[in-house]
Amino acid sequence: MSAITKKKKKQVENEPKVPITWKEIKKQKVLLFWSAVIVLYGIIFYYLPLGGWLMAFQNYKPAKGLLHSEFVGLEKFRRLFSDDTFVRVIRNTLAMGVINLVVTFVMAIIFAILLNEIRLKNTKKVIQTVSYLPHFLSWIIVTGILHDALSGTGIINELLRNLHIIDHSIDFFAHPSYFWPIVAFANVWKETGWNAIIYLSAITAIDPSLYEAAAIDGAGRFGKIRYVTLPGIKSTIIILLLMNVGNVLNAGFEIQYLLGNGLVKSVSETIDIYVLKWGISQGDYAIGTAAGIFKSVVSILLIVIANQAAKRSGEERLY
Amino acid sequence: MKRRRLIALLLTAVTATSLVTGCGKGKDKSSEDGVKEFTAFFAVPNPEINDDNEIQQMIAEKTGAKVKETWLTGQTAEEAVGTLIAGGEYPDFIEGAGGQKQLYDAGALVALDDYLDDYPNIKEFFTEQEWDSLRQDDGHIYWIPQFSNIYGEERTCEHNDEAFWIQTRVLKWAGYPEVKTLDQYFDLIARYNEENPTMEDGTANIPYTIMCEDWRYFCLENAPMFLDGYPNDGCCLVDPETHKVSDYNTTPTAIAYFKKLNEEYKNGLVDRESFTQTYDEYIAKLSSGRVLGMVDQWWDFAFTAGDAIKSAGLDKQGCSYVPLPITIDEGITNQWHNSGGVVNASSGLAISVSCEDVEGALKFVDDLLEQDIHDLRFWGVEGVDYQVDDEGVFGRTDEMRTQCADTAYKASHLCTYSYFPQWLGTSRDGINAMKPAEQEGEFYDALKDDVKECFDAYGAKSYVDMLGKNDSPGSWYPMWSYSNTYTTDTDAGMAWTKIGEVKHEYLPKVVMADNFDSAWKDYMKKYEECKPEDFLEDLQKEADRRIKEAEKYK
Repeated sequence: MSAITKKKKKQVENEPKVPITWKEIKKQKVLLFWSAVIVLYGIIFYYLPLGGWLMAFQNYKPAKGLLHSEFVGLEKFRRLFSDDTFVRVIRNTLAMGVINLVVTFVMAIIFAILLNEIRLKNTKKVIQTVSYLPHFLSWIIVTGILHDALSGTGIINELLRNLHIIDHSIDFFAHPSYFWPIVAFANVWKETGWNAIIYLSAITAIDPSLYEAAAIDGAGRFGKIRYVTLPGIKSTIIILLLMNVGNVLNAGFEIQYLLGNGLVKSVSETIDIYVLKWGISQGDYAIGTAAGIFKSVVSILLIVIANQAAKRSGEERLY
Repeated sequence: MKRRRLIALLLTAVTATSLVTGCGKGKDKSSEDGVKEFTAFFAVPNPEINDDNEIQQMIAEKTGAKVKETWLTGQTAEEAVGTLIAGGEYPDFIEGAGGQKQLYDAGALVALDDYLDDYPNIKEFFTEQEWDSLRQDDGHIYWIPQFSNIYGEERTCEHNDEAFWIQTRVLKWAGYPEVKTLDQYFDLIARYNEENPTMEDGTANIPYTIMCEDWRYFCLENAPMFLDGYPNDGCCLVDPETHKVSDYNTTPTAIAYFKKLNEEYKNGLVDRESFTQTYDEYIAKLSSGRVLGMVDQWWDFAFTAGDAIKSAGLDKQGCSYVPLPITIDEGITNQWHNSGGVVNASSGLAISVSCEDVEGALKFVDDLLEQDIHDLRFWGVEGVDYQVDDEGVFGRTDEMRTQCADTAYKASHLCTYSYFPQWLGTSRDGINAMKPAEQEGEFYDALKDDVKECFDAYGAKSYVDMLGKNDSPGSWYPMWSYSNTYTTDTDAGMAWTKIGEVKHEYLPKVVMADNFDSAWKDYMKKYEECKPEDFLEDLQKEADRRIKEAEKYK
């Protein structure tokens, strides 16, 4: 939502000054029509639903509706932050969000650079295709595979047992300390190949003469990666990092929901699960909305801060 | 160029119209042959039947209506219902299970009491007292509980409830001993497993597993209630003399039971995957015949794993399950099985405010209770799914039984409308049972040999005989039909929800703990923080109210 409005702003700044005449409007009527559709779409699907935020300040009852429910001010927010579970849920979301961001981000860059170093064109293509296929699997399938692979009789335990590393199967899903690494691993497996595509294309955009010049200056393979490739994709890296920072609180819902169980509840529940549990299941839509608002506000703050930081250090930025 | 423009414009128009129509409603109720079509959502998981199901078609021809049923998948009932309410549009028929009260609170249901007198079969379904017990706080009736309603004489063979189950091979190996206490039960399993650690094909046995996923964790948590000889009130114990409500989570029996599980976990008897397995994994385990024993409700495993064991022929190895009358000490009368139909007032079939033809919908429910259609639902088609002998007794041949247990056949041919009101007990013809599983002859003939042999050894004729019969507990019973309606709006409901959360997390910890006593202490500390007294007080009020209410009708 915010990205769209920002893009528009930029367009306005850069447009050459053309006087708005009927002729001009007529000339651009298809464009105008399309933008109207998109603006309409934005209003209907992004801005109108914000009216529902009112719920968070009410003791909302579906039978009474938005207009006749009793207003309670910030009561729901007060209850939210006095709830230990919610505080724990914020911690889990932030922790998993940051771990996922760092791990998938770093892995994608490393993978793209490594892939770029492969000389055999066909091998490269095969690896790329295979690596991004998991992106198209839904989480229910990925968690199914994980659950099987990590179960007591699964391939991982079998392997460890046969290599005599362990005597008894490890119950991976029974220990809270394993949960975050498992989630991070699943994310890396699923998204690395896909995320690498954009870096790969950024790498291909680097002028080959730079590599030749570097070679003449005596740079080896690592030298080229360090002095040409990495600086060449720096702006891409920063922009993507900025955009992803805003997503940190979207640490996921499906994977935690599907892999979690009673024993690891204290580390597996995210804000989204909390909203589902208390907002939808227990029918307290107000508290669910309040939690959602909190999430949106924090996400916007994160983007602003990260963008500001990029601005200070003179790097690429979103706006 | 012009062509391109035209295409662009067309695309725009399509996008624009799809935007607009996306928000509109598109409902078309009756199909081409004049049969009314209703929609239904049941917040319980169940297999869906095919669109061209044969018996559904036959019922449609007779009644002029059919219902497209959808079931819960991959969500909890509350989540599904909460989402429906947030959306504000409902199917014609709805059963919210754990979310029924929310539907009522949201004003999503149609009050039925003004209509009832016009539909004799529905009216007949409950007594005046029972109908009154279904009235909500605004004095109206919104839903019809579908199950446990007995017509004529009661005929029970199956124990459709909870029990400690055990495979017949274990009992056979030990020479069919008396197994009455928790210690004896685990001791028998331990001894059997020591001598026979594998199945015939060499797969290792799983001595005891526990289903713990989500709401199914009753398999872990509520056994202490039964072990003390109480009936399934589900959320508390009610003293039959003083009618005093007490908590089964903290009794000495609860401690003894969890301590036993903890010991057997350490001994390797309790499946290490118990607390992390999903329901599907659990059913797969049971279906493989590896699991020697567990606590569960019959309906939770018999129609899936039980049928799978039969069709794989594992009953020949003695992998069928029978229930045992387990209590904590000898000399306690067990109440695993209670007779008498129980009205579950907490949920049932309701008609939503989105239904445009309430009369038509009720007419259909009424028709489904006609004897010939009831037979069609549960027995099937005469000559195909069952046969009638000279005395008018229904029965099935072996082929018919196998066919009726087949999943593909169930989907293409059988249509029980299983979440619509239905009778138990004796048919209106006075001879047959309303359902095949209650027909004594048919029930016994359909048993696999290992179960028959086991029953014979204990002098039992049915699952119920294995446990012993009890009268219906009392007019307060069952308390779970009240606790099921809790929402977090009240202190009692809040306490109940929090207790559930704590138990989900801490009971597995307690069973897996290295030091049981300290783990139990941690658990109790968390448990007390949930203010269980709020919820027990509220239950006491409800029990008293129910007892008083019942006296009015005496």
